[in-house]
Amino acid sequence: MAGTIRYGFGALLMAGLLAAGSIPSRAQERDTKGLPEEAVLDVAEEHTTAVLPEASPHWLYVLDPVFPHLVASKVYVIDGDSMKYLGMLNTGYVPNMALAPDRSEIYVAETYYSRGTRGERVDVVTFYDAKTLEPTGEVELPDGRFLVVPKKPNAVTTPDGRYLLSFNMEPATSVDIVDLEAKRYLGAVEVPGCSLIFPTGDRSFSMLCPDGSLLDVRFDESGAAEIRDNEPFFDSEADPVFEHAVVSTGSGRAFFLSYEGVVYEAALGEGAMRIEGQWSLLTEEDRAEKWRPGGWQLMAYHPSTNRLFVLMHEGDRWTHKEAGEEVWVFDVKAKKRVARVPLEHPAISVSITQDEQPLLFTLSEAASVSVFDGTDFSLRGTIEGVGDSPFLMYVQGE
Amino acid sequence: MQRSSVFDRLTERASRMVAQRTSRRSLLARIGTVIVGGAVLPILPVDRTGRTRKAHAEEFVKTAQTTDPTQCNYWRYCAIDGYMCSCCGGGPSTCPPGTYPSPSSWVGTCINPDDGQAYLIAYRDCCGKDSCGQCACLATEGEMPVYRPQLNNDIVWCFGAPSMVYHCSSAALIGKA
Repeated sequence: MAGTIRYGFGALLMAGLLAAGSIPSRAQERDTKGLPEEAVLDVAEEHTTAVLPEASPHWLYVLDPVFPHLVASKVYVIDGDSMKYLGMLNTGYVPNMALAPDRSEIYVAETYYSRGTRGERVDVVTFYDAKTLEPTGEVELPDGRFLVVPKKPNAVTTPDGRYLLSFNMEPATSVDIVDLEAKRYLGAVEVPGCSLIFPTGDRSFSMLCPDGSLLDVRFDESGAAEIRDNEPFFDSEADPVFEHAVVSTGSGRAFFLSYEGVVYEAALGEGAMRIEGQWSLLTEEDRAEKWRPGGWQLMAYHPSTNRLFVLMHEGDRWTHKEAGEEVWVFDVKAKKRVARVPLEHPAISVSITQDEQPLLFTLSEAASVSVFDGTDFSLRGTIEGVGDSPFLMYVQGE
Repeated sequence: MQRSSVFDRLTERASRMVAQRTSRRSLLARIGTVIVGGAVLPILPVDRTGRTRKAHAEEFVKTAQTTDPTQCNYWRYCAIDGYMCSCCGGGPSTCPPGTYPSPSSWVGTCINPDDGQAYLIAYRDCCGKDSCGQCACLATEGEMPVYRPQLNNDIVWCFGAPSMVYHCSSAALIGKA
């Protein structure tokens, strides 16, 4: 079913309630104590609160920093199959989130001021129950966190879900470690000017450094850390790599993409990342037409079919944040493009669900989410009005 | 391979652990409070060598103007990101009332169409109130990812200001590149 489907949040909820009949929910106890008998009326139905089932691989979590009022941001939870809203989170100032690998929780690293836009600042990691979308606790980050337009590699869980790693730049750089099991702050690893977090194992991660190299960090449960630097693998002056690399810890691989369209393949292992090779997304013909990658969360990876999805536009150098006119699909093994998906709504972010019948999501500059079949790339529909300035998309199992 | 002068990498093999209970934020916050009185703002050291980036600014300057700082094609905005302080009660080097210029900023190079010269521009944010919401502009001439922080425009450049809440973006002139 192609075309644009317009959903207002309220209309969606109403339609769902009326059509679906019963939603898993919890009934609220009616408190009728102290009311005269004639005031207690029979009601036609209970007024309940919905509870989500276990997260489906086809659910989409959209993080919207809400540029018009950055201190009060949002995360929307959308069912990619029905294209309906499932719920949302209220989040703080330029937050970052991560999904628990076992789907039980959602973690939000966020910042608040005691009087909204001023007063005492506090930075926390908030724990949410993934089914009730209620906060269940928080851990304070005593040294703060990196305040920037949200980027995925700012906060990640370790693959085993034991720790949350939160990047900090004050402007000195460090990585804060939160023990998610014990719900406590473990400590910070100071790192020499490198940024962002790319997990390489349950107790290790890599970061990108200004000279074009990776920094490998290993830590243990006492918070002690070991750092190792490496030779540069890209030219950070002539052709830097985008921040939104993709890491697939499940398949032990990672991909970095440069402004000029070079893909660097990395293997994860022994607490480090090892660059194994590189190839270009672009043919001579593509370059002649000035195709280049661009956007925000501009690359996604589907492990079982070994495919990369990249947002592409025609433009000159320094258009690296320009929205993509097309999604290009690449077979990683063959190092070749296998499909081009034109976008009616130019997109800044792209995501592919990690299951065997995947959905492809694109997020447009105009706050719409388009849903495509992830195999034949036919358009299923577009949801308009997904917040104000959504930037990031998360799916289960990444 | 050029190394950033401010964020120079160190080679470390030693174990490092910092299990801090006190905030390290307080030092910069204190610096910010002192500076807000209106004195000359120090900025983080800027590596000017080999960074004129004249070539990168050459696209933007083709459609730039020098008279109206409320428009996104104002010549200094070649790598700006955010709401223009000129539309919020301030100007390219003036913060709106009740907001504070950040002592830190990232630096871009823009060409002035009137004289064809390249100038260094300090993109300092005005901080202390939530988003102004007017005149959103985004240009990315010479802009780099956050691991080159001096050249990135996504960062909330309010380090050292009394507050890290972003209000609007300014474009102060440093000098010729």
